[in-house]
Formats: sequence, structure tokens, C-alpha cells
Amino acid sequence: MQLLLVGVSHRTAPVELRERLDFSARGVDRALASLVGALEHHEAAIVSTCNRVEMYVACDEAEETTTAIHRFLSEFHGVSADQLAPHLYAKTGNEAVHHLFRVAAGLDSLVMGEPQVLGQVKEAFKLASQMGCTGPLLNKLFHSAFTAGKRVRSETTLSEGAVSVSYAAVALARKIFGNLSGRTVLVVGAGEMGKLTAIHMRSQGIGRLIIMSRTAAHAASLAQTIDGTAMPWESLNTAMAEADILISATGASVPIVSRAMVEQTMKARRQRPLFIIDIAVPRDVESTAGDLEQVFLYNIDDLQAVVKENLSKRGTEASEAETIVEEEVGRFAGWLNSRGAVPTVVALRQRFEGIRQSELRRLEPKLANLPPEARARVDEITRLIVEKLLINPTEQLKSISDGETVAAYAELLNRLFGLSPDAADESTRPTAGAGATKKPGL
Amino acid sequence: MNTIPLILYIVAGVAYAVQFTRRSFSASRVASTLLVFAAFAHTFLIGMETMRAGHVPFASATSAISTFVWLLALSYLYIELTTGERSMGVFILPLLIALQAIPAARPMLEERSPLLESPWFGVHVSSLLFAYASFALACVLGITYVLQFKEIKAKHLGFFYARLPSLNVLDEMNLRAVKIGWLFLTVGLIAGAIWGLQLRPSGDPRMQSMSLGDPKIFVAVLCWTLYSFELYAQRAIGWRGRRAAWLSAVGFGIVLLNFVPVSYFFTTNHNF
Repeated sequence: MQLLLVGVSHRTAPVELRERLDFSARGVDRALASLVGALEHHEAAIVSTCNRVEMYVACDEAEETTTAIHRFLSEFHGVSADQLAPHLYAKTGNEAVHHLFRVAAGLDSLVMGEPQVLGQVKEAFKLASQMGCTGPLLNKLFHSAFTAGKRVRSETTLSEGAVSVSYAAVALARKIFGNLSGRTVLVVGAGEMGKLTAIHMRSQGIGRLIIMSRTAAHAASLAQTIDGTAMPWESLNTAMAEADILISATGASVPIVSRAMVEQTMKARRQRPLFIIDIAVPRDVESTAGDLEQVFLYNIDDLQAVVKENLSKRGTEASEAETIVEEEVGRFAGWLNSRGAVPTVVALRQRFEGIRQSELRRLEPKLANLPPEARARVDEITRLIVEKLLINPTEQLKSISDGETVAAYAELLNRLFGLSPDAADESTRPTAGAGATKKPGL
Repeated sequence: MNTIPLILYIVAGVAYAVQFTRRSFSASRVASTLLVFAAFAHTFLIGMETMRAGHVPFASATSAISTFVWLLALSYLYIELTTGERSMGVFILPLLIALQAIPAARPMLEERSPLLESPWFGVHVSSLLFAYASFALACVLGITYVLQFKEIKAKHLGFFYARLPSLNVLDEMNLRAVKIGWLFLTVGLIAGAIWGLQLRPSGDPRMQSMSLGDPKIFVAVLCWTLYSFELYAQRAIGWRGRRAAWLSAVGFGIVLLNFVPVSYFFTTNHNF
């Protein structure tokens, strides 16, 4: 039994192909059911997001199964196998584990460290386990992946800091005002940029949204679509005195808000803090206005600089996150290897028990004269001797977490005790994930 | 005896520093637990002292500091438990540790002269200690406000930006702490004045010199003026945010001045 991953992601396939392979359109449950049918195997899970489609299965033959999955994908989505093949990747054993853990930690995402992917991986596992498609291997695998993802989130700052201009603006607004509910936002400029930012602010639960444009009709129609209030251009000063956040995004070629205007407004608003987001190019607000006490002025370049810094911070955090992933992969490998000793333990126990039984049978004529209680006692004593002899070896074998050592012990025990060839074969290939990878152990 | 809470405050301080820099959730729980233990130990100590002396230990400058530290620790814990905000701890703990070092180094001899048995004295000292604890919190809130404000203004969102609550929250908490502190300061000053007037006929020479000329009284009145101005300016001329934060920070600086150097070195009469 070994672990196999076959999939495509934003790293290997263009968006057109990913769209065609996305299972969510036709239901991941249906896809999973037919995948399990196609593979004639029980353990399987599908992670399907807009950036990746990945199938994790526990199988006996990696190559055969890979071909089967290729065929399944091509048939299910109606994409020719030739078209698919160059974009698909297949990983087994340790590499597959490593891949899933990186995905769960957000390290393989398009935007490094985005936090949604962990939830998507959880959903994928939940569905698979509800449909009865998971077994001991995938259960442990996914739970370990969740641990890796959670550790990365809590022990590093990989997912921190806004990585888009609009999120950076909202994050700043929150740092200035705390809760945004009840705050008044004034959007100047009814163009596409103004509209997008206004919609974004709306979703933050703000109190009032005022729209203003040189063309009153534009302001009115935008106000209607996004549930705001349009105000005439002439009342800019009044509106500024009311607003907590001013978003300026007009196409004007000269600044429309001067420092003097802001200064005057600040008096009218009794120095309540004012956050000005100037996303217009060329700028709408005189940059010296930002020097005023309690005025926080960020233009598009400032916001982009914040985003860039956050992205580079994520980059430096990534190596720490990779270390955590490695640790968790190591821990999972340890678990797998200790499971690898199980066949040897079983074979050893069977061998001992077999000897006991055959000896009892051989002595049967002599024991026949004994009263039933004495016979029961003989049975009891021999069983206890076997048990006691096996306690220590069993514990020792189960505590080994290194694949090579497990294999060496198994080999030794097979020879010493002449264990059954079946069990011996199983135990020299201790890890469910071994097989195709050349690495020892996993 | 004062060393046990001191050691616990130091350990808690280290934990708060770790949780602040690393932002680790487990460290933050450890830090809070340690501080609760420290406050418990300190409560026990003050309780013992109260039983022994027959009154709350704040009649000498040294024991008043210990009681002040205890009040500040409890006030901070109250804020932490009600708001869930732990980032102030790393600023409060050094203050607790520095002040608690004084009673730990000097024995706390609580000898009370009969002059101090008036209930007005009790009101006077306890109100002032509580006021000072509020001002200490306001000071820390002010300092953190300025740190955060600078990063946002400079458009360099760094260390403090990632760790502190929003400017608005800091500003509002600062003003609330100043309001509470101002109220108790006023009550404490009035109680002190009444008590002084009552005792004037007693003929104690120390009582005769109680006037604005006494350094401790002078500095206390100075504080009252400054905090009154902060509250007024905030309403009337929009001195909120950074300016209020600075006033809080400076105000507590003066309070500390009154508390330590003035108590020990300058005043000859106001050191009961």
C-alpha cells in the first residue's frame, strides 16, 4: 500500500485547462465516486480548487494507478489524454506527503500564504471521509496536513499582511479606526476604480457611503447600484467634514483637494482623524495634506509599497514555514515506518503461537490423563510464557521509526525464526509509501 | 517579603515580552497566568501587612509604592480580562518591576502616627494611589499610541503596527483612564485638604507646613492642572490622538517624580 498523488495546479497548467478540470462544477462527490469505481480501490480524496485539482489515493501499484487516473480524468472531463499528460504531475510516498503539507500550509498557493486553502483541503477530506473513501493512511495523512497548516499559521506570519491594494487600505482603516461599523466613507469619482473600492468598503459593514462625482448623473447611478447616497459636487467640503474615510479616484489632471481644504475641514470636524486614500493617477489630493495632525494620507504608490513589503515579508517567512512542513513530513514518515513493523510483529506472534499449539497437540496423548483443570492450567501457562517472551520484542519493533532499521530488523527476524515468506515480504517493504520513490523508508 | 511578588512580576514580564515579540498564543496564556499569580501573591502580602498593622499599608512612602504596584497590577489585569488585549502588558510590567524593586530593597516599616488615623487620610491616600494607577495605564496607552501613530504616518507599517490595537481604541482608552484618574485625583486632593485643615489645630509641626509650598502638594496640583488641561483640550480644541497621548505620557512622568524622588529626597514633612 502506498500513497500516490496525481494532479494539476497553477504551476503546471494554464487557467483554461484548470477550468476544464475543475470538479466542483459537476460535483466533487460524483467525481470521487467514479474515481473510486475506476480504481477499484477504497482510499481516495480529491482536492479541487480554482488553482488546483489533485487526487490523493492509497494504491498498490503506483504506475498502473497513475495511468488509470489519467484515463479517468480524460474520460470524466472529456479532455484528450495527450492534451492532459504534459500538465499532470504524479508524486508518490514522501514527495506526495510533502506536497500536500505545503498545499495545506499555503506555500504552494498562487498568493503565498493565503489562508483559504487549508479550509478547502479540510472540505476535501471531510467529503471523502463522509463518502467512506478514506482509510487509515489518508486519515492520518490529512490530519497531519491540517496540523502542518495550523502550525504554519500560528508559528509564522506567512498569512499576515494585506497582499492587495484594496485589502491594504481596509487593513489600514481598521488600524486607525478599529471597528469600521458606523463609519462614514466618502467616495469621490464614479469611475470603475471608485466603484470597486466603494463596493469593497460596503462589505466592511460601514455606516454611510457618500458618492460624489463631477457629473451628478454618474454619482446618482453609482449610488443606486451600491446602496449609497449621492451628493452634489459643490458640497465636497461639507461631505469631507462628515467622512471618516475619503477615497478619491477621479480622472482629474490637477489635485482637487488642496492642503488648505483639508486643514479647514479638520477644524470643522474638530480634529477627528481622517483617512484619505488617494488612488487616482495623477493624484487628487495634495501630498502635503498628509502632514496635518490626525490626517492619514496614503496614495496608490504608498499602498503598493505596503503590499510589496508584505509580500517580501511572506517570502522571508516561507523558509520558516518550509521547516515546519519538513518537520511534520518527518513525523508522518515516522508514523508510517512504525506501521511498517506491524507485519513482522504479526508474523512473529503467529510463529510462536503456532509452535505452542503444535507442541500441545504433540503432547496430547500424555495430557489426556490429566483432570480438566490441570489441562486448562497447562494451556494457560504456555500461553503466558509465549506472551512474556514477546512483550519486549513487540514494543521494540513498534518503537522504531526509521525505515531502514525496520527493514533490517524484519530481515533478521525472518531468518532467525523462519517466518512465513508472505509476512517476510510484507515486512521488508515496510512503508505504505515506499515503492516508486528511491528513498529509504518512505 | 516584597521580593516574592517582585520575582513573579519579573517572570511574568519576560513572558509578556516573549508573547509580544513572537506573538505566540501559548506564551500569552502563560504570561497572563503568571501575572495573576503575582497579583495573588501581592494581595496575600498586603493582606498580611494589613492584619499585622491593623490598616492598609500605605502610611509610609515605601509601603505606599507596594500598594500602588498592587493596584496597578489589578487594574491592568481587569483591562486585560475585559478587553482581551494583551499588548499593553509588555509596557506595564517593566513599570511594576521597577517600582516593586523599591519596597523589595527597603523594609516596609508600617508605623502609623496617631495623626493618620483620620478617615480623611484613608480617602486621601487610597484615592491618590488609584488615580496614579489610572495615570500609569494612560501613560502606557499614550506611548503605544505614539509608536503606532508614527509608523502609520511614516507609511512604514512595521513592528508595532502588527502588534498594537487600533489608534482609535488606544485614544479612547487613554481618555477614559485619564477621566477616571482625574476624578480620583480631585477627590484625593480635596480629602487631603480637609484632613490638613482638621489637623491644623493639633499643633504637629509637620501639619503647619502643609501648603502649596510643599513639593509633594505642589507637584500633585501641577498634575491636576495638566490632566484637567488634557481633558479640556480634547473637547474644546480637538487635542485628541497624539497630543493627548503625549500629555498622558508626560503627566505620568510627573506623577512618578512625585512618587519616588520627591517622597524620598525632597519633602521633609509630607512623608508619613
